[in-house]
Amino acid sequence: MSIDLAITIHGLTKSYGRVLALRGLDLEVQRGEIFGFLGPNGAGKTTTIRCLLDMIRPDSGTLRVLGFDPQADPVAVHARAGYLPGELALEDNLNAEQQLRYFAALRGNRLDWEYVRRLAARLELDLKRPIKNLSKGNKQKVGVVQALMHQPELLLLDEPTAGLDPLLQQETLRLVQEARQQGATIFFSSHILSEVQEIADRVGIIRQGALVEVAETQTLVHRALRRVRLRLREPLATAALAAIPGVTILSASDGVSLVLQVEGEMDALIKAVAQFPVVEFETERPSLEEVFLAYYAA
Amino acid sequence: MLAIFAYTLKRLRSQILGWGISFGLITVYLMAIYNPMIEQQAEVVALFNAYGEVMLAFFGGGLDFLSPAGYLDFALFSYVPVIAGIFAVLIGSGLLATDEEKGRLDLLLAYPVSRSAIFWGRFLAFAAATVAILACTWLGFVAGLPLVDWDVSVLALALPHLSLLAVLLLFGAIALLLSLLLPSRTVAASVAGGLLVANYLITSLARINELLKPLDAVLPLKYYQGGSALDGLNILPFAVLLGATVLLAALAWLLFTRRDIRVSGEGSWKVPFSR
Repeated sequence: MSIDLAITIHGLTKSYGRVLALRGLDLEVQRGEIFGFLGPNGAGKTTTIRCLLDMIRPDSGTLRVLGFDPQADPVAVHARAGYLPGELALEDNLNAEQQLRYFAALRGNRLDWEYVRRLAARLELDLKRPIKNLSKGNKQKVGVVQALMHQPELLLLDEPTAGLDPLLQQETLRLVQEARQQGATIFFSSHILSEVQEIADRVGIIRQGALVEVAETQTLVHRALRRVRLRLREPLATAALAAIPGVTILSASDGVSLVLQVEGEMDALIKAVAQFPVVEFETERPSLEEVFLAYYAA
Repeated sequence: MLAIFAYTLKRLRSQILGWGISFGLITVYLMAIYNPMIEQQAEVVALFNAYGEVMLAFFGGGLDFLSPAGYLDFALFSYVPVIAGIFAVLIGSGLLATDEEKGRLDLLLAYPVSRSAIFWGRFLAFAAATVAILACTWLGFVAGLPLVDWDVSVLALALPHLSLLAVLLLFGAIALLLSLLLPSRTVAASVAGGLLVANYLITSLARINELLKPLDAVLPLKYYQGGSALDGLNILPFAVLLGATVLLAALAWLLFTRRDIRVSGEGSWKVPFSR
C-alpha cells in the first residue's frame, strides 16, 4: 500500500444473509483529502464504513486503513480514527460532558480538554445538559465533538450533518475542512449532495454495493451533460443543430427559443450557432444531484 | 479494560443497592425469627411435616431445618438461586446485547479498546456486582448472628454465598452467551430464565423422583450446595460450577470477538413464527 493512501479497499464483498450489500467494492482514498461517498439509503455506504472499522467482517476482499488491516489490528485503526455513526446512540444517564469524558477515558485521557470545550462552544453544545433531554440535533453535536476531539488522522463520518440546522451544518463542514487543513483525511458518506459538492475533493458514487464512479468533484460536474438555453432573432432550422454529435434538442417549439442538451465539448455547437443572430446563449452546469441521479437512472 | 469495568459497575450501582439492601434486610429478619421458631419447635415440625415430601423438596429436601445449615437452606438458600438468578439473567443477557440493540456498541467499538477488553471488562463488572450483592446478604447474616445461639463463624457464613455466587455467575454466562446467539436480549433473557426455573423444578423433584436423577446430574443446580455449605464447602461441585462458567464465558467471548455487530437489525434473524 502506498504511504499516500489513507484507505485502500479491494474486492470488498459483504452479504447479510441473502442480501448482497457490497459487490466487490474497489476504492482508494488519498491521505489529506476529503472524500465524499455518495449513494442513497441501502447502497452500501454504512456497510463500507463499518467494515473499515471492523464492526462487521467482510465475506471477501482486502482493506487497509492508515496502513493497518482493520481485522488484524482494529485498535491501531481506532486509535487514529474518529467515527461518527449514521445512527448515533449515547448513554442517556449521562450529561454531554460525562459522556465525552467517558469517551476520553477510552482513549486513555490523552486529549486536550480545552479543545473539546472550544468544539462544543462552536457547535453551541451545552455540556451540562443530560443527554436524555437533548434533541436529535444536539445529540448529533455530541457525536461530532467526540469524533473530532482527539484530532484524529482519519475521520469516518456517516451522514455528519444529519439533524443539524443549516447554520450548524455549515459550522460542522467548516470543522471538517479545518481538520483537513491540519492534515486529517476525511471520508464521509452523505446523500446531501450540496454539502458533498461544497467540501469534497473527490466523490465516489456507490450503487447497489458497487462503485460506479470516482472522480474529482468538479470534474464530475463538468464532465456531465450541460443544458443550453438559446434565443435567436429569427427562426432556425433545428435539423442543423440536431446533426451535431452530442447535441440533443429538448425543446424548439417556435424555432427561436431552444433548449438543448450537450454532452461533451461545446465547440461544435458554438460554431454552428455563430452563423445565426443570437440574442441569448445560456449554459447551465448540472448540480451534483443531477449527476448523481443520472447514474441512478442509468 | 479498566474504564469499561468501572463504567459498567457504575451503571450497575442502582441494581447493586436495590438487590443488596433487600437481601441484607431479609437475612437480618431471618436471623431474628430463628429463636422464636425454635421456641415453638413442636408446632413448626408439625407444620413442616404437614407440607409433605413434595413441597419440602423445593425447600432443601432432607436437611434438618432446625440446624443452622438446614435453617439457612430452608429459609433462603434453597430457593434464592431462582430469585437472585433473575438479576444474573437480566444483567448477563444485557451486558452486550442492550447496547448493541440501542446502537451504542457501534460507537463504543470505534474506540481504541479491543473487543476482548470490552467483553471481559463488562463480565468482570457483572461478577463484581454479584459479589457486592452477596456481600450485603452475608453482612445481613453477620449482623444477625448475635440474635441466634449458633456456633458458626462469620467465614463459615460466607461459604453458602460462594456456592450461590458460582451458580449466579454460571446463569449470567448462559444468558450472555444466549444474547449473542439469539435475535434479541429479551429472547435470551426469557430462554435463560426458563432454563433456570426448569432447572430448579427438576433438581428439587429429583430429590424424590429417581427418574429425574440422570437429567439432574447435568444441570447446574445439582452442583449448588446451598445452606449445607455452612458445614464446609465441597470444592468439587463448586469447581464444576466455576469451570462451566469459565467455559461458557469463553465461548461467548470467542463469539463476540468474531461476529458482526448488529445495527438496525442488520445480520439478525427472527424466531420462527414471531412477528
